[in-house]
Amino acid sequence: MTDGPGRFRGLRARLLVAFVLVTVLGAAAAAWTGAVLARNALLEESRRQAATTIGGRVTAVAPTLDLPPDQVTLDRLRDAVGGRALVVHENRTSARGLDAGVLPDELRAAVRGGDRIVTQRVVADGTPWLLVGTPLVTTAPDGARTPSGIEVYAARDLADVQRQIDGLTTRALATAAIVLPLAIVLALLAARSVLRPVRDLRDTARRLADGDLGARSPPRGSDELADLTLTVNRMAGSVQTSMEAMRRMEADARRFAADVSHELRTPLATLTAVMEVLDGATDDLDRDAREAAELAIAETHRLVRLVEDLMEVSRFDAGTARLRVEDADATAVVRETLRARGWTDQVRVDAPEHLPARFDRRRIDVVVANLVGNALRHGRQPVRVGVCASADTLRIEVSDRGPGLPDDVIGHVFDRFYKADAARVRSGGSGLGLAIARENARLHGGDLTAGNDDGGGARFVLTLPRQAREPAPREEET
Amino acid sequence: MSDGARRGTPVPGAVPAVLVAVAVLLAGCGVPPSGVIDGGRAPTGVAPGPTLYFVGPDGELVAQTRDTGRLGTISDALALLLTGTQDPALRTGITSGGTTRVGVTHDGDTIELHLPLAEYDVTPRGLDQIACTALATHVQAGGSADTRVRVLLTVTEPGSDAGEPRGCPVVGRAAVR
Repeated sequence: MTDGPGRFRGLRARLLVAFVLVTVLGAAAAAWTGAVLARNALLEESRRQAATTIGGRVTAVAPTLDLPPDQVTLDRLRDAVGGRALVVHENRTSARGLDAGVLPDELRAAVRGGDRIVTQRVVADGTPWLLVGTPLVTTAPDGARTPSGIEVYAARDLADVQRQIDGLTTRALATAAIVLPLAIVLALLAARSVLRPVRDLRDTARRLADGDLGARSPPRGSDELADLTLTVNRMAGSVQTSMEAMRRMEADARRFAADVSHELRTPLATLTAVMEVLDGATDDLDRDAREAAELAIAETHRLVRLVEDLMEVSRFDAGTARLRVEDADATAVVRETLRARGWTDQVRVDAPEHLPARFDRRRIDVVVANLVGNALRHGRQPVRVGVCASADTLRIEVSDRGPGLPDDVIGHVFDRFYKADAARVRSGGSGLGLAIARENARLHGGDLTAGNDDGGGARFVLTLPRQAREPAPREEET
Repeated sequence: MSDGARRGTPVPGAVPAVLVAVAVLLAGCGVPPSGVIDGGRAPTGVAPGPTLYFVGPDGELVAQTRDTGRLGTISDALALLLTGTQDPALRTGITSGGTTRVGVTHDGDTIELHLPLAEYDVTPRGLDQIACTALATHVQAGGSADTRVRVLLTVTEPGSDAGEPRGCPVVGRAAVR
């Protein structure tokens, strides 16, 4: 996952939040439903019981009451009802603990006009009360009921019921809270079971990206993630197969080039010997034949060089090129290279008197000769070779005053058989020189780069470690 | 990632859902006020006096309210009935020996009356008077009109049906209807 501004990062956190929310909401809903049902049952029971009790008490005392009632009668009725009660008849009232003013109008209206016991819950000063009101009716022997004008009211404290309900609610909330840690544990387990295959798959993909084409994830179970794992494994398998095929083909091609150049050596050696004989006898030939013979000799030399370069490249490709490091004076090596090829007069050397370093003399000689040869051939004089060094880097620069390297060429000068100027194909070089030069630099653990001088002209920079070390023999690549 | 906008709400609407749940939960506790709720039939039982039944000129039952100021018990009403009436237009089918104390017991849907009378003291109409007076008081006190009455006499003739449970032809019509 990339980092973002959201609060819920990662699959695990999201799974956890969703799981816990669902579980706690479910538990809370169930607990709440239970609490509400219990509350309603409690309230209904208390209401029913109060209505029945008060109705029963009034019924029990009613036959002994005078009609029309005097104050004493009303008081007796009020006492019979018990608790906080109020009895009203026309202008007369008998009250204890219950004031007519607190009775809601709708309750009074229901009692006055009706023939039923009615109840109403009210909250006064934070305390819940159950109000019970009933008219007292007169029944004729034939069953006809007429209001007697007596109204009875009673108030019952619901604080006890309230306490019971509060207890129920607390327990419901506690139940929901108990579920919370359980939900977290389950969510973590679920997240792990989902995330472990994902993590395995990620690790496998990373190893594949790093080049370990043999990396696979064992698929577990038969879910979508297992499908995905199988697919990734199949993909990795086909990539591995094609890569192996490509490597085999590449190795075959290199081996073929090596074999070809090797096979060409023997006939070429013979041809070279023949050419040397021919070279000694050209004076006896007429002019046309001599020119033809000289051309054949030159081309044979070129062919020999090409085969030698090809074999050198093959050794680099096969990893069999060996570095023979020795103590040497870099300045002396460069000067010897120029002197041996007769270039001392054409090349300026900027170098300290002595520059001790460790490198492979032969290979550095090849590199410098190639670079200077190119400069003389393609660039314009003066050609300059600069040698300098820091504590651990040796730097050899070859520059000329020619037109420099076009931008589209710089990236390709080290490619094999790359010719910058198509018109000058027969320049005498094998087309492998720069490629071999760079391989030599890299064999030392250094590098060779191509560029242009600020003042025009190409500039090649060879950097080598001052103390090159012989690398451990490379494993033969398949 | 293209789901950056969605990352903030992995479970859409979760926060409102929690708020609603908490609000509902809080509303669920405590005792809420209510409207007016019916609680059954109103109590009854007050009356200016008991209703007694005598026999009219044509042998029919005639109700007469004794203005005692209160309904009283079945026993009270029967005592008044046994005492008789001074209305010259009415007569009674009961010959009382002076004792007016009546025992009343309730046995389920039946009221048993223990009268200090022998069967020869009471005409069949007199039995109706007794049953109707008892039932009238019972109904006026809030009892059911379907209640049956057993009139138990001190002496009964063999084969008499005086002790059978009986109703009253004129009481509780309105209630039965």
